[in-house]
Order: sequence, then structure tokens, then C-alpha cells
Amino acid sequence: MGEFQPRIVVFACNWCSYAGADLAGASRMQYPPTTRVIRVMCSGRVTPGFILEAFRLGADGVLVTGCHPGDCHYISGNQNAVATVEKTAQLLRLLGIETGRLRLEWISAAEGARFARIMTEFTDQIRALGQSPLGNSHRGELDTVGIGEHIGCET
Amino acid sequence: MRDVLVVGGGIAGIQASLDLAEMGIQVHLVERLPSIGGRMAQLDKTFPTNDCSTCILSPKMNDCARHPNITLHTYAEVTALAGSAGDFTATVHEHPRYVDEAKCTGCGECAQKCPTKVPDAFDMGLRQRKAIYLYFPQAIPQVMTIDPDHCIYLQRGKCGVCIKTCQAEAIDFEQTAREVTLRVGAVVVSVGFDFFDPRGLTQFGYERCPNVITALEYERLISASGPTGGHLLRPSDGQPARQIGFIQCVGSRDVRYQAFCSSVCCMHSSKQAVLACEHDPEATSYVFYADFRASGKGFREYVARAEREYGVHYVRSRVARVTEDEANNPVIHYEDADTSRPARRAVDLAVLATSLIPRPDTARLAQVLGIEVDSNGFVKTEPLTPVDTTRPGVFAAGCCRGPSDIPESVVQASAAAARAASWLVD
Amino acid sequence: MSDRPRVGVFVCHCGSNIAGHVDVAAVAEYARSLPGVVFVQRNMYTCSDAGLTEIKTAITDQGLERVVVAACTPRTHEPLFRGACREAGMNPYLFEFVNIRDQCSWVHMREPQAATRKAQDLVRMGVAKACLLQPLEEQEVPVEPAALVVGGGMIGMTAALNLANRGFDVKLVEREPELGGLLLRLDKLYPTQDDALPLVEARIAEVRRNPRIEGFTDSMLNEVKGFVGNYEVVVKDHEGRLSSFTVGAIIVATGARVFIPEGLYGYDGQRVITQLELEKRFKEREIDADRVVMIQCVGARIPERPYCSRICCTTAIKNALEIKAHRPSAEVYILYRDTETQGTRYEAYYTRAREAGIQFIRYSPERPPEVSAKRVVVYDELLGAKLGIPYDLVVLSTPLVACDGASELAQMLKVPVDEHGFFLEAHVKLRPLDFATDGVFVAGTARWPSHLEETITQAYGAAARAATILSKDHVTSSGVVAWVNEYLCRGCGACVEVCEFGASSLVQVSPGVEVARVNPVMCKGCGACASVCPTGAMTAMHFTDAQVTAMVRAALSSESMS
Repeated sequence: MGEFQPRIVVFACNWCSYAGADLAGASRMQYPPTTRVIRVMCSGRVTPGFILEAFRLGADGVLVTGCHPGDCHYISGNQNAVATVEKTAQLLRLLGIETGRLRLEWISAAEGARFARIMTEFTDQIRALGQSPLGNSHRGELDTVGIGEHIGCET
Repeated sequence: MRDVLVVGGGIAGIQASLDLAEMGIQVHLVERLPSIGGRMAQLDKTFPTNDCSTCILSPKMNDCARHPNITLHTYAEVTALAGSAGDFTATVHEHPRYVDEAKCTGCGECAQKCPTKVPDAFDMGLRQRKAIYLYFPQAIPQVMTIDPDHCIYLQRGKCGVCIKTCQAEAIDFEQTAREVTLRVGAVVVSVGFDFFDPRGLTQFGYERCPNVITALEYERLISASGPTGGHLLRPSDGQPARQIGFIQCVGSRDVRYQAFCSSVCCMHSSKQAVLACEHDPEATSYVFYADFRASGKGFREYVARAEREYGVHYVRSRVARVTEDEANNPVIHYEDADTSRPARRAVDLAVLATSLIPRPDTARLAQVLGIEVDSNGFVKTEPLTPVDTTRPGVFAAGCCRGPSDIPESVVQASAAAARAASWLVD
Repeated sequence: MSDRPRVGVFVCHCGSNIAGHVDVAAVAEYARSLPGVVFVQRNMYTCSDAGLTEIKTAITDQGLERVVVAACTPRTHEPLFRGACREAGMNPYLFEFVNIRDQCSWVHMREPQAATRKAQDLVRMGVAKACLLQPLEEQEVPVEPAALVVGGGMIGMTAALNLANRGFDVKLVEREPELGGLLLRLDKLYPTQDDALPLVEARIAEVRRNPRIEGFTDSMLNEVKGFVGNYEVVVKDHEGRLSSFTVGAIIVATGARVFIPEGLYGYDGQRVITQLELEKRFKEREIDADRVVMIQCVGARIPERPYCSRICCTTAIKNALEIKAHRPSAEVYILYRDTETQGTRYEAYYTRAREAGIQFIRYSPERPPEVSAKRVVVYDELLGAKLGIPYDLVVLSTPLVACDGASELAQMLKVPVDEHGFFLEAHVKLRPLDFATDGVFVAGTARWPSHLEETITQAYGAAARAATILSKDHVTSSGVVAWVNEYLCRGCGACVEVCEFGASSLVQVSPGVEVARVNPVMCKGCGACASVCPTGAMTAMHFTDAQVTAMVRAALSSESMS
């Protein structure tokens, strides 16, 4: 299998960071294939539940990205993201997961190069940390109800 | 007639088009360049919010492209306007792109292979593009354009590597120019502005000194998507510029050139000074000004923050000339208004805030549209009818009627839309 | 055993953009193996006419219930494919886009195997979400083609006339007994030096003549309920009589007030007066001053009020020129900190003032002028010397400040004001006349001190913005909005507080029981409310907890990343 390939989940907001990611592509900027992007409308949509579920299932790193403060398309949604990441970092500490595995970054739609650079840097950072302490223990449990899902609200 | 023609696809033209379209009116938006977006697409950030310019512009551009009531005519110009308010006939000349808009997906593979490099006007010549190009990455329409002046195939009949590369078979060298006739009820003019060329003012050293640049060149350098990836590197040696001098009113408030004030430069230089420090905390900026204009919403607070938090030095002064030392550092010679004494400061980079002037083709376009320009060459309007031109049914918005900042242009655009819509009432 | 919907996956080659770096065949093959996927097709260019036709055909022929396209980016192409689904009779929100070009093939060009693996993972994530997508409805709400304009000054009247002339009914509410606003109190206008009154009177006459405008003078807003397209308004006149009506849009044009500089520079309203008081004297023809000293920035650009009021330099010039016009031998001094005479017109105006012999003296806030009984003493920064100027009249240029009642009005309309009390627009650059709350707009000095030329422009601008709503029979919400499961809601109000657009509110469903309800027309679909909801009652449709979680799981399933 060779070198450890980190598994990194990235949440990107439609208006800024997802657009920045697209710009990195249009500019043909290369970065490691370690990230899987989940598009949300606003970084404020990300909940601690989503982040914890990712770590529970063995993510080695989670990156929450959104618009720079003051630029949020929904005015203040990205402030929610700040609160969420701070809260979740505290929980991660309790769970024995290094807080360096969770990161919040502001990336604008014009910052393709920055997106590529952050993907590369974060990958290197996670490589240095190694595999998540939760490892592979919960993989394969795809059908169980996890932290991120509220019971009963989905029709 | 119930349609409206909008001439010029920068932010003013885009706003006017969207407002009209949302009122249920059919809009023909004609833009001279291959893409709409105008000057805002060239800016990194906008004052006083320091919003990323592309980020706030792109959604509006996309809305324009998708709106069922808006037809874009890019890479096109208006060549005639006959008739009168309520019933105009406009002739639009569409240049051939030599690329089939219906087939091209804007993927850019052709540009990767094209052998010809051309100075990129979007990047103020600081970078090169290919003979087949996308005006900028978020261009709307997302369609390539072939520059007939530099394309080897069109000039000499050789090459054609783009044809081989394009899997969508979108290259079409047989394309010819098209004349389109539009019947419209009203017209909105929003063709924007140009920057005064400082080469004539030799005392500022624009041609002489490699590290004397214009504000728009600075903007491209500091843009994340620009030629240096957002790093403020000196043209002479590629070293980071840490001491930056902004010289205001170059060409403005000068009876020899432009007697008027260009309105936005005090603020855009402040913004550029702040951005220098944001990119590099070691950077220090000096703004050399005679009078300072910052009366827009939030402007005075922005300037105060620039001084307080970003260490920008505002020097009330009169700049006499710019020389250069052996290390290509521009040396700014000025009279300090507070001490009434001559002084000088060496910087790594000097940025000239030049006048906002009418585009060179504004006079010709004004003739075509049958409207007057004022003594400064801007589209003529009156204070109490601020978006009406001298021809009934033709309205003006944005910098083509005088130097304006972005919110002013946007407001004028909506106003022009309101006025234009009035002419469509039966 | 499948309660999974029938999913069709279309994998795009995008010429060689994707196919050149990703094994499209392998991605398609993999898609076939995913639970729920019943149909897979590869396209050269899925966005082409041919590609769109293939999607529509497959929906019909294969009975597809979900469509996943793996191609470029949803930011440009999602509407196109949603449109194709709609045309084939499928709810457009049952479509999911997977980005395997801009965020895959283009950025991993030298690692085709890893890129292919990533594309497969992304498709698995997209299919997982698609299986959980629900058909969403776009709500239509009818629009009342009428507008409320609050404030019957020049700007309110201009906006009202533009809308009325376009066929909309306008209710114009003015709290003073007469229309006209601040312009009634001005003598001249700049830069033309024309009389102000004829302009205002002409506009008032136009308004009175217009059958579509109903004016309510000596009246104030009592209550405003509802939302864009359907505002229910109650107006109360000075005798307490109520009138109610429904409008589709609201324009705020309530103007501003001139700051009275009590305690500054010896202000006494007699020999030391404001510019507005000077204009009153002009109108009453009571000027016999031979030496006039005007002081700029009185009560402005100071810590309590750091802003520049924009119009005072030009107002001072206007009044100075007026004095010179009546008494050419009069000496007029303008003591300034900066000359706010931007642009083409006002720079020329400044030049004109100097040519008329008006003296401009720059002072610094560290050494402000001192007004004694007979003289104004000022340190001339340019000259570097102190000057003593004997005077007959001192005129103080004071800023415009928020008018009385602005914050109450703001609360009634649920719109914000800034720290100076001026109404705060949705976005200072690109939405300067809108509020974040749909359907409410602002123009004039209620927003910020501006020249008459600018406020007139804003009046037309706000009218255009209002017309974009009023021109429609109905406003349509996106399907991607939030929705409350009222059984789970305990009425905590967290969603109401976090929503910037006023889309969520608490309603009483039974005595003592409140739940949140989202107005889909006002909701922008950001999902902030769903994130803060403590019970899970709030659902962000199309980005539900289950859908996002399914993507997280799919991203990390044991099959991924070898």
C-alpha cells in the first residue's frame, strides 16, 4: 500500500470556497487527490454532527471552508461556522483526536491558488499526524444511525 | 416597442439589464469585449468593504447569462441608432469569434495548445494570453475567442492546432461578422471609462522607471488570480515591494489635462494601501495627496482604520517628480504641506492614481447614438435629470457619464432602468 | 430489496477534459454497481443538445426517479440539467451534480489512477445524496401591484411618480402636513444656483394630479405586517383615524435632519447660525452681512460622529455664491478641513467659488477655529499663520443626521440601521438600495447624506427595484428553503434570531404554544437555522442532515482510498 494516503473531507460553500475550488481547476492548479468536497450553500450549514460523523467513520482530517468574514453571501452565516468549529474542536479534544485534524479556512471565489495551496498544506499536515486514532474501526457500518442524523425528521 | 438596448456590459450595464429583465422587459445587452464584467472583473477587492470583486460580480454575471429576458451580444458593437424614443432601430455589428458559441464549452484545451502568445489586456499587459483565449476565467459567455490580429491561421493560413484539439468541433474559421438589427423602445448607455495614460507626465517617471506603475496595474498584481498570484512583486527585479508610495491626482485637477476630480482615487488608493499590508504585514504605504475626498458611506471610518490598523501614512503634499536610485527604487520628491518644506521619500514601488477619463471611442459612440458629451467628453446629463442623456429615450449609467464608484454606478443603472421602462408604457 | 429510487447516472467525457485524466469507462462501470443505480450512460458532452436529449429520453424510457450527472461544475451547469429534468416531467430537485472536472480531472492531471478513484468516490457520494433527495415545490405568492412610499419629500415623490406612471398604485405617506420635505426649506440648489421652490412645487403638483397616487399627509405608519408581495399596512393620521391597504413593495424615503450645533462655536441662532438657517434668511431676504465666515465640519468628523456628511462643502459654496450674488463686495471665508467637491460638476463648482472671490482657508482639527464676539481666529494651515477675521455672520456647516423616528420605523419594517442611525442597505456595493429583507427599499438621505443629483438617481433606482417585484404576478420561492417539523419544534426562537432575512418567525398554534414557521418566499436556503436548531425540527431542504451525512458516509466508506 505504500505511503499513508490521508482521507480528508472538505465542506465548501457554494458562493466562495466551492467557487475558489473551481477556479483552481480552471487554472489547472494541481494538489493531492486526498480530499472529497461536500458542497453546502453556506459554511454556516455545517454542524458539529457532520464533522464528528466524519471522524467517527475514519476521516483523517476535516476542513470547513467558507467566505471571508464580511463577505458571506448570507451576511453572517460564516460566523456560525466559526462557532461550530470551535465547539467541535473542544469535543475532539475530549475524544482524543488531535485538533490539528480539524481546520477552518476562508477562501474566496477568486482564490483558486489559495484553495490548491491549502489542500496541499492540509494534506501534508495530516500526513505528519498520521492516520486518525479512530482508524478503521467504524468502517463498514454504513447503515447504522450515526451522530449526524436526527431521527424522524426525514420523510 | 417593448425591448431595451443596453450598451456596455460592465456592472452598470449588468444591473440595468437585470432590473429591466425582472420587470418583464426584453433586454439586448451589447458588450464590446468577449465577456461581460467590465472593470470590476479586473479589481481584487472593492472599498470600503474589501469584498472580493469577482465574488460579488460573478453571481450577477451568471444571472445575466441565464435570464430568459436577456440576450447577450458579446464581442459586438452598436454601429447605428435610428428612430426616436419608443421606437428605435439599432444596428449591432457582431465580430466573428471563429468559435461556435453553441458548441464551445470553454474548457480551454485549445488555449493550452495554441503557440501564439499575446500581451493580455485584461492583465494590463503584465501577463500573456494565447491567440485563442478566454477573456478571464469567469468569463460570460464561457466561450473562447480567436484574436484575428495574432492568430497564425487567420494571418497566414498555417497552424490550426486548435481545430485538431477541440473535441467539440467548435472552431470555425469560416465565421464572418454579423449585422443584427434590433427594434427597441429605449437605450441605456453604460460603456464605462478608461484610465488616463501617464506617459505624457514624464515627471512621474512612468516610462522611465520600471517600478512606477498605475493603479490598475497594481490591482492586477495584488489580485489572487493575477499575473503574480497576488504577490506584490516589483517589475524590475521581482522582489516583494514593502514600501509603497501612492501618488494621487495624476492628471486630475490639472488644467493642462483633466480639470475635474476623479472622485474615487482617494478611496481606491487607500484600499490598495490596506491590501498591501494585508498581504504582507511588513509593508508600509504612503499616500501623497493634496485634498482628500472620502464622503461616501463608511469611507471616513475606512480611512481611519487604514491609518490606525494598517499603518498607512497620509501625507498632505504636492508631488513634484519621481526619480530613481541605483536600485530602481522610485524616489518621490514632494512639498510637505504641513511643514511647507521640500522632502523626498524612496519607495520600492510607486503607484500613480491617474484620472478616470472617457473611453477613446465614447465620442464616436455618442455620435452613433445621437447624444451629446460634455466638455470633459463624458456623456452629458443634468443634475436634476441625472441619468437622462440629451436624446429622449436614451439614458446613461456608470462611469461613462462621469467618474463614479461601484454603488453609484449600480444606483444609476437601476435609475436608468426605471427611466427606460417609462418609455415602454403604451 | 429496494425502497431506493431508480437512479440514472450520466458520466461526461467533456471531450478530453475529463476523459484525458480520468478513466470514464471505469467510473461508469463503478456507478453501475452502486445501490439504486439502474441506468448509466457516458456522454462526450452531457451539456450539449444531444446529451440533454439523452437524459430526457432515459428519464422517460427507464422510468428514472433521480438523475446524477458527473461532469464539470454545478455552479454553471446545474440549472441547465435541472431544466432538462423539468422538461422530461421530473421534479428538478431530484437532480444531483457531481464535479469530476474542475475539482478532479483538472487538478490531478498527473495522477490518473487516483483521479479515477476520486471520481468514483464522488459519484458514490452523489448517488447516496440523490437517493435521499425529495421533490421540492416552488411556492408562488401573488404580488399586490401597489407600492408604499414612506416620506413625501422630493425623493419619495419622484419614486412615487415613476411607479405611478408605470401603472402601479402608490400610497405616499408623509408625517408633515404638507409634501415637499427638506427642499421646501432650501433657497437655492447647487450647482445651478436655481431656486429650489419651483422644483418642489412642480413635483407636488404632479403628485396631486396623478390619479394613481394616494397621499396621506400629517400621517404616520402605524403597523406593517406581511412580506414581499403582500405587505399589510396601517396608517394613522393626526386625528387617530386608521387606513389600511396592501402593497407589494415598500420604499423608505424619510430623509434626514440637520444637526443643530448647540454649544459649538458659540452657536446662538442669531449671529452664529446653521446653513439651513442661512437659507431661511435668504428666502426672507434678510441678509445684510458684509463679512461672513463659514466653518465646515461642525459636529462632523469628530469622535462622536466620525463620518463626513458629503454635502456641506457644496452647500457652503452654494450659499457663499448666493451671498456674493446679492452683495458682490461681501467678504466670504470658508474654513474647511477637506474640500469634498468630487467629480466633474463639483470640482468645477469649487473652481467657480474661488473665481468668485470666496476665500478658502484650511484648518486642522488639532487647531480648530475660535469664535469670539467679534472675530473668528483660525490657524491657516497652508499659510502657516494665525488669522483673525472680523465677522458679521458666522455660518456653521453641520452634518445631516438620522431623522427622528428613524429607528422606530426601522423596527416596524424589520430593517436595520447603522451605527449613525442611517438605514443599512443589504450590500454597500452591489445592493445599495435594497434591504436584506425582500421587498423593502431605501432612497435618499435616509440612507446617507447625498447630493440632490444622487438622491434623485436613488429615487428612480428604488422605483426600478420595487418595479422588479410589482411587475410580476407572483413571486416564486426556490425549492431549496428551510422547513419546520412543528411536532419537534419547541419555539425556542434560535432560528428566528439567526436568520438575516426575516424568513423564520414564531407563530402561536395553540394557547401558550409557539412554533417556528418559515416563509419560503423570504428564505434564501442558507441552512443556518437548521444548524442552530437544537431539536432537529428545522430542515434545510436539499441539504438535510440525512443527505449531508449520507455524503460523509459515502466519502469514507470502506471501499474508498484503497
